[in-house]
Amino acid sequence: MRLPAGDARRAVFAPLDDGAMRSEAVVRRLGSAIGLGIIVDGEQLPSELQLAASLNVSTVTLRDALSDLRARGLVATRRGRGGGSFVVASEEALTELSRGRLRELGSTDLRELGDVRAAVSGTAARLAAERAADSEIERLRETLGRLAAAPGGTEQRRIEGRWFIDIAAAAQSVRLTREEIELQFELGQLLWGTERTEAELAATIADHHRVVDAIAARDPATSRRLVEEHVAAVTAQLMDAHVRLTRRGHRRADHTDAYPEAAGS
Amino acid sequence: MSAPADQAALVIESVVERVFRSVAEVHDGLLAGYRAAGARGARMCDRDVTALREPLLALLAREREVAVGMGVIVAPGLLADRPLRMEWWQADEAAGRPAEPVMLEVDLNPASVGFYDYASAEWFTVPRRTGRRHVVGPYVDVHGTDRYLLTLTLPVIADGEFVGVAGADVPVARFETLVLRELGDLAADVVVVNPEDRVVFSTSARWLAGSRADLSGAADVHALPEPHWRVAVPH
Repeated sequence: MRLPAGDARRAVFAPLDDGAMRSEAVVRRLGSAIGLGIIVDGEQLPSELQLAASLNVSTVTLRDALSDLRARGLVATRRGRGGGSFVVASEEALTELSRGRLRELGSTDLRELGDVRAAVSGTAARLAAERAADSEIERLRETLGRLAAAPGGTEQRRIEGRWFIDIAAAAQSVRLTREEIELQFELGQLLWGTERTEAELAATIADHHRVVDAIAARDPATSRRLVEEHVAAVTAQLMDAHVRLTRRGHRRADHTDAYPEAAGS
Repeated sequence: MSAPADQAALVIESVVERVFRSVAEVHDGLLAGYRAAGARGARMCDRDVTALREPLLALLAREREVAVGMGVIVAPGLLADRPLRMEWWQADEAAGRPAEPVMLEVDLNPASVGFYDYASAEWFTVPRRTGRRHVVGPYVDVHGTDRYLLTLTLPVIADGEFVGVAGADVPVARFETLVLRELGDLAADVVVVNPEDRVVFSTSARWLAGSRADLSGAADVHALPEPHWRVAVPH
């Protein structure tokens, strides 16, 4: 089996250089790729040997990761002829995965992510206002139309990710586009843990339309400011979610810790 | 033919024509494959497209100085045994030395964030609609080759039926090198813009490739027929 390619797919199967917690890193990488729809429900993963080689991890680490993914319900393994590991795109499992990630990251990590997003996406918006062709601006609007019509949360996050990537491409910068793809990849690991009401989605889409308006008006400063404001708001939401999840986690741990003592007394 | 814009236009045209001559060879290969299948009384298949690989690789090796990618994109639904098909090869450079060509594999799954939606890409839709050759760019080929490119395509049409497109990817930087070499010691600054007022080529940092330029004030402008670029010598 050939390893799949394309920018986003290349990123999924690229070597991991995270160092510590390797099997968690594999779980996170494959989990977010499933969430982003880069590898799809029912798709067969490459063989253990191939996957371990392309991710640059040992087969032991890879097996740990696959068994973790199985336990989470994101991968199913079939034995025998035509067997192998297959993707299961379960919304609940993805939500649980990103909640875990939100819990384990510190608020400074989230702030750092927001800082880089502001730098990359903000600059991309500023340059897009100077450089985007009318056809590219039209495509940005079309994408927002699709975002409004998208049925599920996962699908909405995906389209929104593409919208940011398209702004970077409209800025005529290959390097900003690459950075934006990586940022959306990282962000995708977190956003499934947060929910959006219909009103919140509508407000976000309205904000995004204002960005496209500013790009179309050839107003670099406003384009940049609006994107920075959006990024700051998302970062604040992620931090709130992180604090909420972590506190809840502690309360639960206290509770279970207290239980045997109570039983013993 | 004395105005500087006219002289620069000749150089630009010669570089563009050189690329299109290679694309025409790719075009002829796909057309021959389609007709051969018809002569067998069959619809064209996946393996008929695969058969274009060897000549394509030879062409890419020959034109290494100009193009980083070449290939064909088949009209959706045309093949008997596959809905979407591209046969596109890239010859990149690794550490300044030519690397082995690799086949471009893109994500053809419509549900993915990385979906390469070629059927709605300009380099595909315009030649299909107009039946004429087309140049797209400069543009960031996001989800595809991940480069800053000009893509030159020719429609492949057999007896009125659209078979697909043949094309070549030329990095903007490489196009610039070729034109600069040929331009020699032409004294004036030269700016080339595409129909969207985007700078394709320039001899001055006042106009960056990829930025938009308003050339309405330039007196010396030469409009090229195809692609619809304007070559200007601003003051």
